[in-house]
Amino acid sequence: MAKKEAGELSLKELPVRRANVIEKDMAGIGTLKDLTNVFESLASTQVAKVKNKALLSQEFFNLLWQRYTAIRIDPKKRLTVRDGVGDNGKKVLVLISAEAGLSGDLDMRMIETMQDEYKAGNTDIVVLGSHGASQLTQRGIPYVRFFQVPESDSYINVTPVIEAVRPYSEIAVYYEEYLSLGEQEVRRIDLITHMKDMSDGLDDGTMTDADTIFEPSLSQIADQMEETMMSLALSQTILQSGLAQAASRFNAMTVAEDRAGELLGEYKLEFHGAKRSESDRRLREVLVSIKKKRREAAGNR
Amino acid sequence: MAKEALSSLNVIARAPFHVYYEGPAFSITAKNKVGEFDILPGHADFFSMLIPCTVTISTDTDDISFEIYSGMLTVKSDEVMLFVNM
Repeated sequence: MAKKEAGELSLKELPVRRANVIEKDMAGIGTLKDLTNVFESLASTQVAKVKNKALLSQEFFNLLWQRYTAIRIDPKKRLTVRDGVGDNGKKVLVLISAEAGLSGDLDMRMIETMQDEYKAGNTDIVVLGSHGASQLTQRGIPYVRFFQVPESDSYINVTPVIEAVRPYSEIAVYYEEYLSLGEQEVRRIDLITHMKDMSDGLDDGTMTDADTIFEPSLSQIADQMEETMMSLALSQTILQSGLAQAASRFNAMTVAEDRAGELLGEYKLEFHGAKRSESDRRLREVLVSIKKKRREAAGNR
Repeated sequence: MAKEALSSLNVIARAPFHVYYEGPAFSITAKNKVGEFDILPGHADFFSMLIPCTVTISTDTDDISFEIYSGMLTVKSDEVMLFVNM
């Protein structure tokens, strides 16, 4: 049960209320309980829908990552160090939050974690999701760009986000990871994990132009892969965050529904008590009136 | 020659949310900017960007074909990884 706020009274401590007033409140709590139940079911459906897809796409990403990191190219030719890319000397923090509220305290925890890294002078924030944007505004933390995140069970178009973060020398992404229905965690990744360069020790898994045919060419493939990996990494984190947020919403709604159920039980007790005291009062009034009549009758004799 | 004797490629063909095929195969047909090509067992290590085409994977039992709009195919010691529609 939720802790009582300072100054809050329990139902027992509240002044005695009339049964019809309690009945009205009970109807309101009942509606709230039904609503939280609906939201809980919706969140559960969303988790079921996204979970398998998120697992599949994570496997896909891991396999592609194997091949991506197997390429050995000259780091000077990499996309991330070419002209116009990463040249503003600043760091950007990308925050992937929920589009709407009712997702528990997950976004709040993410912002608190991010604040440790945030330095106003040399850090910009790009936020995805209206909930994160409003939380940042409430805390007086400015952000340079905002993107909406439609709730989806597949990848969304992340090209505008990639374009927005491209000028930064360091890109850190904060997102929420689904561990289980009851557990979600805040994670941070560097979006640009630099390709291993030629000087790295070669092993059996490496692919160089000395032993592999590259079509159209190694540098073109490396450029294309870097773009693809960046998009996929971001898409994957958005999908993971969506899953974690749905799970967090499920938990928040379960707690709210339980609380509404408890409250309904307490109201029922209060309602029956009020009903009993109302009938007792009526009975007392009848008895008093009978006694009065008897006294009057005895006086008349 | 019997198909079984040639089935020595190990293939993984996936899109982000779909597994097209995972297992042994004896050939793969796809298309890049140079043109249509086949991968057979013993092919040199290969890394290629694919263009929109129909990919066909021939296995012991049947041929699996599917359309792609983008893709990447890698061959490393008879292990073929095909990443499509990213």
